[in-house]
Amino acid sequence: MSKKRRTSAFHGRALRLKALAKGKDKYAATAKKLSRKAKQIVVTARKNEAEVVLKEKESIRRKLVVTAEKLHLKARQLAVLAKGKESVRRKLVVTAKEKESIRRKLVVTAKEKEDVRRKLVVTAKKLKMSHATLGKKVLERTKDLELLRAKDEAILASIGDGLVATDKNKRILLVNKAFERLLGWKGGEAQGKYLSEVIPMVDSNGNAIAESERLLTMAIQKRSTATTTITTMYYKRKDGTYFPVAITVAPIFTGNKLMGAVEVFRDITKEKEIEKAKSEFMTIASHQLRTPLTAIRWALSSLKRENLPEEQRTLVQTAHETSTHMAVTIRRMLMISRLEEGGTDPDIAEVDLPKVLEKIARLHDTHRQRNGLELVIRCPQHLRVRTDEQLLIEILDNFLSNAYKYTPKGGKVSVEAMKEGEKIRIDVADTGYGIPLAEQKRIPEKFFRASNIASPVEAGTGIGLYMVYNIVRLIGGTISFVSEENKGTTFTLLLPSHPL
Amino acid sequence: MQTKRVLIVEDEASLASVMGKVLSKNNVSVTIAHNGKEALAAMEKEAPDVVLLDILMPVLDGHGVMKAMKEKHPDCPVIVVSNLNDQRTRDKCKKEKNVKAYFVKSDMDDDDLWTATQKFLFPLSSPQPQ
Repeated sequence: MSKKRRTSAFHGRALRLKALAKGKDKYAATAKKLSRKAKQIVVTARKNEAEVVLKEKESIRRKLVVTAEKLHLKARQLAVLAKGKESVRRKLVVTAKEKESIRRKLVVTAKEKEDVRRKLVVTAKKLKMSHATLGKKVLERTKDLELLRAKDEAILASIGDGLVATDKNKRILLVNKAFERLLGWKGGEAQGKYLSEVIPMVDSNGNAIAESERLLTMAIQKRSTATTTITTMYYKRKDGTYFPVAITVAPIFTGNKLMGAVEVFRDITKEKEIEKAKSEFMTIASHQLRTPLTAIRWALSSLKRENLPEEQRTLVQTAHETSTHMAVTIRRMLMISRLEEGGTDPDIAEVDLPKVLEKIARLHDTHRQRNGLELVIRCPQHLRVRTDEQLLIEILDNFLSNAYKYTPKGGKVSVEAMKEGEKIRIDVADTGYGIPLAEQKRIPEKFFRASNIASPVEAGTGIGLYMVYNIVRLIGGTISFVSEENKGTTFTLLLPSHPL
Repeated sequence: MQTKRVLIVEDEASLASVMGKVLSKNNVSVTIAHNGKEALAAMEKEAPDVVLLDILMPVLDGHGVMKAMKEKHPDCPVIVVSNLNDQRTRDKCKKEKNVKAYFVKSDMDDDDLWTATQKFLFPLSSPQPQ
């Protein structure tokens, strides 16, 4: 700064010298010199000044550079900071967005909550109302139920048949009044006990029926209704006496789940008495009918052999055949009556099959000859079957007489017996009219006769095969047949081998 | 040769009569009884060679007759001619020593009756000429 001041002092002095030179020339030259000197000094000063300026500038520049570097560093730091801040900002933005979203959701939820609340209020109101209504209804319904229960109880009490409900383990749940009356047990005593323990069951010979054979067991095991068959069963009362009983047991389900069973039973003493009376009546009636009929038949047969004029002989022949037919019909009616009653037990014994077949063939030989038919019997000589001989004869007699009846002249009938596994199979085949396909399933029906049989061909009642099916049901075995119209029919009897 | 005697025990008069006529044609002497009691009386009196016996009869039935015959006429052959066709009755009858054959009326004809009877009337020789 002193240099600057000196420079300006010189400059001032130069100016004053110039002013002096104007006055005085002496001073003029000096002035001029001084001026030049001043100019030089100025130049030098300027140069110095420039150098100084340069140096200062350099120093400043350097300072600036340092500062710049510092600034740069700072800038970088700031940039880093900025980045961090930006990231934080962004995060904050995201968070803000999320918060906004949550806020919005909360708003929605709040709305929903409000909605729900309103609904709840409505529902609560409704509930309050329906509670009142329900209360009323429950009261009404309870009354109805009580009425219904009373009705059910009245029905149960007034049912004439004994009724017992059990759980699936066959323990008694409830019984009705008739149960108590029929068996002498009080409902309270029977409850919780096994049915078989309360009511022992026996057959007509007094033998106890096994638990597995009881209808209740069968109904529960097979999950279907079981009913007493033709065989009479007896229930034992508490006092030890027995009565014949008809039983129906039905399983009880809840959905698919077996809960137990209901047994309904009836004392059939009266029915049995009526049956017995009917049976006795049938026996007497049969005797009264059959014996005179035999007299007629034998008288006509005897007369037939007399030397009669042709016309009379034909009449006697017809009368004899008709009376024979009548005798067979009566025999079958009696057999059916006995089978339907269930009073007949089969007498199983060893049967000489070839002998039986021969006997039946002989019985019907007149019929065969009259119809001009051929008979072939195939049966191993040693073939034996254990069955009821008379009932077997009834079956085969029926098969053979049908074959003869429904086969046109010149036809062929064959009877073949054979062993089939443990069973005995007997086929009776004809080359006759056959049974129309549509009617085949009606064959076991009582009084059914196929429509393709013109009545004048042969007299028939439609009870023969009905009887046969009933017999087979009794003695065990199966009947089947194949038939084609105008080709023929084959009836097959399959008999079980009864153990010795 | 002495005329053979047949006792017919049958409660149905018409049938007994037809049976009698059928057999009479073959030169045999026929006696008819309408119940078991009559039959036993006739046996005492006539000593028949063969008895044709029905089962179901009033007063005394066929089983009763057979029971009585066991003691009094153990050698007299009996042919049962009945309407009963069940195995039990057959078996019961066949257990009796006197019973030689069992016929069911509805299964037989008049000539079967004679064929069966003569078998017991003339057990060793050929049938008597008619």
